[in-house]
Amino acid sequence: MNGAAAALGLFVGQKATDADALVPELAVADAEPAADAAALTALADWCARFSPAVALDPPDGLFLDISGVAHLWGGEAAMARDLIMRLGRNGIPARAAVAGGPGAAWALARFAQAGAILASGGEAARLAPLPAAALRLAPAEAAQIARLGLSTIGALGVLPRDQITRRFGPGVVLRLDQALGEAREALTYRRPPNPWFTRLAFAEPISAPEDMARVTADITARLCARLESEGQGGRRFELCFHRLDGVTQSLVIGLALPGRETGAIVRLFAPKLDTVDPGFGIEVVTLAVEGVQPLGARQERLDEDRDVMPEEGVAPLVDRLTNRLGEAAVWRAEAFPSHDPERAVARKPPLSPMIGSPALGSPVLGEGWDPERPRPLRLLRRPEPIEAMALVPDDPPASFRWRGVLHRVRRAEGPERLAEEWWRRPFEDAEPGRARDYYRVEDEAGGRFWLFRDGLYQAGAGPKWWLHGLFG
Amino acid sequence: MSRVASFDAVRAKVAAMSACRGGAGKAALSFGDHRLDQVFPAGGLPLGCWHELGGEGLEIETAAAAGAFAAVLAKPLASRGAVVWVSRRDDLYAPGLAGLGFPAERLIQVQARDEAQVLAALEDALGSAGVAAAIGEAEAVDLTAGRRLQLACERRGATGLLIRRRMFGAPARKTAPGVLLGAATGSAAATRWTVASAPSEPAPGMPGLGASRWRVDLKRCRGGRPGSWILEMNIGDMNDGAYPLRVVTQLGDRQLEAAQSRNLADGDAPPRRRAG
Repeated sequence: MNGAAAALGLFVGQKATDADALVPELAVADAEPAADAAALTALADWCARFSPAVALDPPDGLFLDISGVAHLWGGEAAMARDLIMRLGRNGIPARAAVAGGPGAAWALARFAQAGAILASGGEAARLAPLPAAALRLAPAEAAQIARLGLSTIGALGVLPRDQITRRFGPGVVLRLDQALGEAREALTYRRPPNPWFTRLAFAEPISAPEDMARVTADITARLCARLESEGQGGRRFELCFHRLDGVTQSLVIGLALPGRETGAIVRLFAPKLDTVDPGFGIEVVTLAVEGVQPLGARQERLDEDRDVMPEEGVAPLVDRLTNRLGEAAVWRAEAFPSHDPERAVARKPPLSPMIGSPALGSPVLGEGWDPERPRPLRLLRRPEPIEAMALVPDDPPASFRWRGVLHRVRRAEGPERLAEEWWRRPFEDAEPGRARDYYRVEDEAGGRFWLFRDGLYQAGAGPKWWLHGLFG
Repeated sequence: MSRVASFDAVRAKVAAMSACRGGAGKAALSFGDHRLDQVFPAGGLPLGCWHELGGEGLEIETAAAAGAFAAVLAKPLASRGAVVWVSRRDDLYAPGLAGLGFPAERLIQVQARDEAQVLAALEDALGSAGVAAAIGEAEAVDLTAGRRLQLACERRGATGLLIRRRMFGAPARKTAPGVLLGAATGSAAATRWTVASAPSEPAPGMPGLGASRWRVDLKRCRGGRPGSWILEMNIGDMNDGAYPLRVVTQLGDRQLEAAQSRNLADGDAPPRRRAG
């Protein structure tokens, strides 16, 4: 129903035939509740630009929790005006009201003049002249109240509560209390708000590097104080700089273990601040923490003990290195069950729990690398071709040339045949026979090398030799 | 009079300062062999300072022998805390470390993008609590960087091992061929070693290769004497508290000769040569 129809005296809930009789040229469309709900949801997401906490109030309402954000628009009235203006520009007629609670705001938005602002505490006086329908009542309850001649909220409010409950049911009292701000009401927000979020807004946009560093320290200290008071620690901190021109730049740091030490976190942010381009200035900084989990308070140790807890020493180091060099650049090697040398090592985050950690007893069989199979200290990422001289095709080479230097083999050990892991290939490509014969050889100077001959011996084709690693 | 007193005070201060860097009374890691321990003023590899390991020839680029020797040196330290290995290359192979008896699960590997990052990460690691040793691979350490490493070591008593390694194909840095990489530059390292692989000797009648051996030259040692040895990895008991290295041969050294003849007079000198 649009404004023109309302002006003709039509109302929601009227039968289509009655309306047609009143206004013969009426254009009637079928109601589409599902499409309406989807449109309302889309509108709620759009409203996130005003506040992150938007709750749906089907069929036609939205609640925005604007605590702490209204000043960005220069006050609640200006914010409501901006919201209505933007909606109107998009062809959506809307009414807005600002109040201390959802109930009062609902009533004002629908039954008071547009753009009503109500400070907390003034609900009773302001809502008294409004009709009882402003209480978000079920149609039956509203009809019953109207039948008894209680035309306004004020008239209903003076009645004793137990009488209201007896006559109209408990729902009316609850709605009345919610409207008057005497009962709290929980809204289900569209996007679950992250409680670990804080923001700093500046009267004057900042752009100097030292200001940005100070702001980073301030906002981190604020959130860390909250984390500490609630016994929590976070794993991921995202610092967002909102520029005047609407561009948002974010810096993310991660911690190996949950933490809340302001100094440590600020130090991790510090080297990244250079990458933030302040443009014409930064007006708002926000900090959000993810991966929040309980973190007990720690007693500072009095003794300089040898075995420090990992969270005191290694974890901050890992954090610093990871944030400076990248997540992939800091790792701990762990055995991977594969005989392919390239795949036998898995990179794990340095402080991830170990499978065969000494605390859990000796490693179980099958974990760790086989000590019976010698492996080089340096494994070349790509095996390098060598010119090898072997007396017999199945023997280790008698000498080989690698990187321009001739090595005479003095001792050799092997072969250790490692076959390709055929099961990792697509079925149609699977074929037997790809194998490498590895030899451990020592040259006359004592250098120890890991060589392999590619493939099985085939008459005619000379064997290909490669150097894959150095034992040192 | 007062001038003499103040001079004495300065001298005492200098002595105290030098004592706190690799001097006597400092923690040391014994090699378990008198022939090796006696060259160090502290009776073993001094801890809480950093050491420089280098190689020659192809080793400048591969650093395999020096890397293996560093892993063996750091092995006893791994039980005291984490070990960090910083490199520009990612060719360090954990199964190989495990084969040397080094507990790979105590190792944090770090890959840096350039030389400065290697040194910065190494310094950071050395100064962190819970890190017993840090191993870095860098081409050159100038005096300032060396002092910074030393200060980081002194903060928590961590031990640094710096492997001199040039990226493959990188031009050499102002060093004449044949000269140890940067050997002529001053350095803040407590000791400087040259490590090369040495031919192994399997037990008689055994095929294949014997235990890894290295020819190790201690080129410089603050407060101690240089020396040369052939060392073999102790593979008999890899995981108990045994010393990781065994002296196979002591190579000739004139200063040592004199010291040993004195020890002989005392009657506590070990046999100088074993079958090798």
